[in-house]
Amino acid sequence: METEVKETQGKIFSAENPGITAPTDWQPVIMGILCNWCSYAGSDLTGTSRIQYPPNIRIIRVPCSSRVDPWFIIKSLQTTADGVLISGCHPGDCHYISGNYYARRRFLVTKKLLNFIGYHENRIQFSWVSAAEGPKFAKVVAKVTEDIKKLGPLHRYKKENF
Amino acid sequence: MARVGVFVCFCGANIAGVIDVPAVVQEAKKIKEVKISIEYKYLCSDPGQQIIREAIVQNRLTSVVVAACSPRMHEKTFRKALLDAGMNPYLLEIANIREHSSWVHQKDKKAATEKASDLIRMAVAKSIANEQLHEISVPVTKRALVIGGGIAGIQAALDIADARIPVTLVEKSPSIGGRMAQLDETFPTLDCSQCILTPKMVDVASHPYIELIPYSEVIELQGYVGNYKAKIKKKASYVDFSSCTGCGACTQKCPVKVPNEFNMNIDKRKAIYTPFPQAVPNKPVIDAEHCTMLLKGKCGICAKVCEKGSINFKMVDEVIEREIGAVVIATGYDLWDPKPYEEYGVGRYKDIITSLEFERMVSASGPTNGVPVRPSDGKVPKNVVFIKCIGSRDEAKGIEYCSKICCMYTAKHAILLHHKVPDSHAYIFYMDIRAAGKGYEEFVKRAQVETAATYLRGRVSKIYKKGDKLMVRGEDAQIGQVVEVEADLVVLATAVIAPKDNPALARLLGVSYDKYGYISEAHPKLRPVETAKAGIFLAGCTQAPKDIPDTVAQASACAAKVCGLFAGDTMKKDPMISTINNEFCSGCLNCIKVCPYQAIVTEEIPLGHGSKEIRTVAKINEGVCQGCGSCVAICRSMAISLAGFTDPQIINEIVAI
Amino acid sequence: MDYSKKIQEIASKLFADNKINYFVGYKQNSFDDSQVPFLITDPAEIPKLVFTDRSVFNLANYLKPDHTKRKRVGLVVKGCDSRALNLMLTESQVKRENIYIIGICCEGVLNEKGEKAQNCVECVMPDPVVYDEMIGSPTGKREYTINADIRELATKALEERADYFESIFENCIRCNACRHSCPLCYCAKCCIDQETSTLYHGANTSSGAMHALMTWSLHLAGRCVDCRNCEKACPSHLPLHLLHKQNESVIYENFQQHLAGMEKDDRGAFYKYSLSDPDDFIL
Repeated sequence: METEVKETQGKIFSAENPGITAPTDWQPVIMGILCNWCSYAGSDLTGTSRIQYPPNIRIIRVPCSSRVDPWFIIKSLQTTADGVLISGCHPGDCHYISGNYYARRRFLVTKKLLNFIGYHENRIQFSWVSAAEGPKFAKVVAKVTEDIKKLGPLHRYKKENF
Repeated sequence: MARVGVFVCFCGANIAGVIDVPAVVQEAKKIKEVKISIEYKYLCSDPGQQIIREAIVQNRLTSVVVAACSPRMHEKTFRKALLDAGMNPYLLEIANIREHSSWVHQKDKKAATEKASDLIRMAVAKSIANEQLHEISVPVTKRALVIGGGIAGIQAALDIADARIPVTLVEKSPSIGGRMAQLDETFPTLDCSQCILTPKMVDVASHPYIELIPYSEVIELQGYVGNYKAKIKKKASYVDFSSCTGCGACTQKCPVKVPNEFNMNIDKRKAIYTPFPQAVPNKPVIDAEHCTMLLKGKCGICAKVCEKGSINFKMVDEVIEREIGAVVIATGYDLWDPKPYEEYGVGRYKDIITSLEFERMVSASGPTNGVPVRPSDGKVPKNVVFIKCIGSRDEAKGIEYCSKICCMYTAKHAILLHHKVPDSHAYIFYMDIRAAGKGYEEFVKRAQVETAATYLRGRVSKIYKKGDKLMVRGEDAQIGQVVEVEADLVVLATAVIAPKDNPALARLLGVSYDKYGYISEAHPKLRPVETAKAGIFLAGCTQAPKDIPDTVAQASACAAKVCGLFAGDTMKKDPMISTINNEFCSGCLNCIKVCPYQAIVTEEIPLGHGSKEIRTVAKINEGVCQGCGSCVAICRSMAISLAGFTDPQIINEIVAI
Repeated sequence: MDYSKKIQEIASKLFADNKINYFVGYKQNSFDDSQVPFLITDPAEIPKLVFTDRSVFNLANYLKPDHTKRKRVGLVVKGCDSRALNLMLTESQVKRENIYIIGICCEGVLNEKGEKAQNCVECVMPDPVVYDEMIGSPTGKREYTINADIRELATKALEERADYFESIFENCIRCNACRHSCPLCYCAKCCIDQETSTLYHGANTSSGAMHALMTWSLHLAGRCVDCRNCEKACPSHLPLHLLHKQNESVIYENFQQHLAGMEKDDRGAFYKYSLSDPDDFIL
């Protein structure tokens, strides 16, 4: 198994130090981690319905929201992302019966912990989007993008900083 | 060193109309592992796939990234292309630049192009960590379990059994037949329900490939597609079916009378009973809730009159196990209780009955020998008012959906009434007439012409008593007037609802159900007979209200699905499942706790190399694992990895942009 | 609180009856009034065993890894230690029949300054929850209070909190003493000391330390019993309890007042769920 990690290319983020203000054309990067059966399908529906949303999200597909280990969130915030959106099936709809219930517990604790150590709570967001909720996915992405734009670029703990 | 090929699809103008594809291709070339990056108009076409195949061979690619539509759309197509080029199909990654970029950022072409490049970078990075995976084959137990012995279950069981696949048919009540057995004649042909159903019931009982287990329930289902293990509880019938001849002496002599649910409680049955004369199996059971012998230890007349000595008051519930490969759910429907219609006097006026009660009355073998009568005084009614949509399409009191069959059976009832009581007159209050189906519209027309029934479009607002008549006040919306009809009998077409046990059954089987309690299909249009759980199918009204032709069609479709599943000796299974590195496993076994499929078992391994001491670690049963990844995320020692979504793959994706 | 005599008696009896192969207790330090964990295999050393309000360490840590699979052990535990032991039992890390547990009804231990330690002031369960023999008289479960430091930090501005924690993470030297001192960090290959840790968490900077400590504390969320072995072991004196107490308070408030290791067979908050878990933070 090759586990080599490429250098981050830092397209939007240069190796800035905290305190330097963002360029005016700054656009946030949002890491979207979506479960395959509901939210990824929902985001596909947003596409097939041609519903427009801000282009800041980068989507990673996982089988279930329960596959999301909290370190995915921390890793994203530490490297490439200004914010994270994780989305799964509505409670009761999990393709894998109960995955999202376990995930929900971890998400709450992770969010509160990251907030506790100094991340704004809006940088870590969660949603339930079903395969039929194309419009909802667009709304969620728009909201999260808007929230994170307000917060500005994330510099703290960025790996580029060392 | 990884050698990645990137293939970017125009998808006609779908992608190229928004995204600057040549720029994306150039951008991809800058990634150091990318050996070839090309574009093509339609990659999913044959020439498109040919380009991929050639590039794989020529460039000795170690992984392939296709930037095109959603992986949910063409992942299989492109995997096949890899396979044809002699490459492991799981070395493919798809960058979804259509649904996730060109279609959703049509106005911001620059951002859409940038995003497409990022998505490709992520896919390339992930693909570098991809591993070769191989399909898993799992043995199949060729036996189907059909739950419910109504027409849906009967049809499914017969069709599967005719393909020489053993079937276990489990029915809750003492006899198969279900709702259809209660019907008199069926729309739109008016052939007698019993006449077409009973031969099928007999076929079920005599079929060499069908094991009929009446008066029983499924109480547990474990395992996975092809390898389920079901526990079935046979309720104590207190009658030994093997020696009972079904002579009926016991039912005649039994002194206890109980409302007869088969006849909608219009008449009485005994505490030892067969539900109806044509029951299959035609063996009586004792109703433990009412039998005085079982309740108080007195009586025992049935045991005395039984020549065969088949009565056994000491019988207890028995649990049997069956190994099965597939399940068909066919639990049918219930009828909505119209009690909330207080303004109609439901419950106060005896002469307001439900459609199924009317159906039983007009049935030749029914409690009134085929003549409708008023429950209050036993007189034959002349003016009968039928009210449709009782509970259906009623968000305030009932449910939102249309029950689908009421328009048709109400037309049928008008005809049956006309046949049984020629000088009667039917008034039908309706909201709409929904008669879509072969011969249906014609049937409604026939009812209107043949019986001269008065169809009144409008809702009934109130029913009150005047003498021994019921006054039905409603609106005739076509003339915009309030009308009052003097009725001898009022028949309510109550809504079809899901059986109340459906949610519990769904949880037990591990399938999902909707807010009404109907079992959910995997896809409302494209997979209407499958549930989301592999190997579990559904037929008939357990999914939604249906008429008999639709139910039978769906039951046969289920049979085709089951036969397809059992076509080979083994099943191919997706290799994207979890594996445990037992060297890393600390043996806390929390993964067993969170696994929704009981796919994790324990294994004992030596403590160290050559050690005689053992330690217990977790092990994945690869036939059961569905690849959700719940265990992966909770494993603290990172001993579990999920093929296709491993930690290195996801890290690569996260850090790629 | 001085149970030294009592423990010595029990230990002698256990050795005399050949019930144990070794005994884990506390010994007086030779240079100050603190105590150190003390493992004995020779009954001759029994007189050195002590137990006072200076017996701070959680001795359950000395049962890992796999010791009890071959050896029988006598062990002294306080309330919090017994909760950790309870979890180790549930998670099949120790064999119950191979340990003889002497549970102490703890009156609280002292910190370096000689005051009652913070975790003892806030202790929810001073009595042992699993034991073979109990010393002292049980006082019962106490009401849960949110840690004073957490309450104080919660009132601070986000940036201030962020700066504070960054200064903590900056001082982490990634020695993993915290993980090794924790009785519940028994994994043969822990995520934070695997060779892949750099890949997962990042190099030894404030950022890498943040990631590693976050991951570590989330692995202990719903399992940490607040014995503070990690904090005592930390050479940089980082207030690691902040992370654990934060998780504990969130879990207690949101997940049916869950507290780690209080009940037999309880595996921790992340390995079960309730349909009524909070959902309002999800869009």
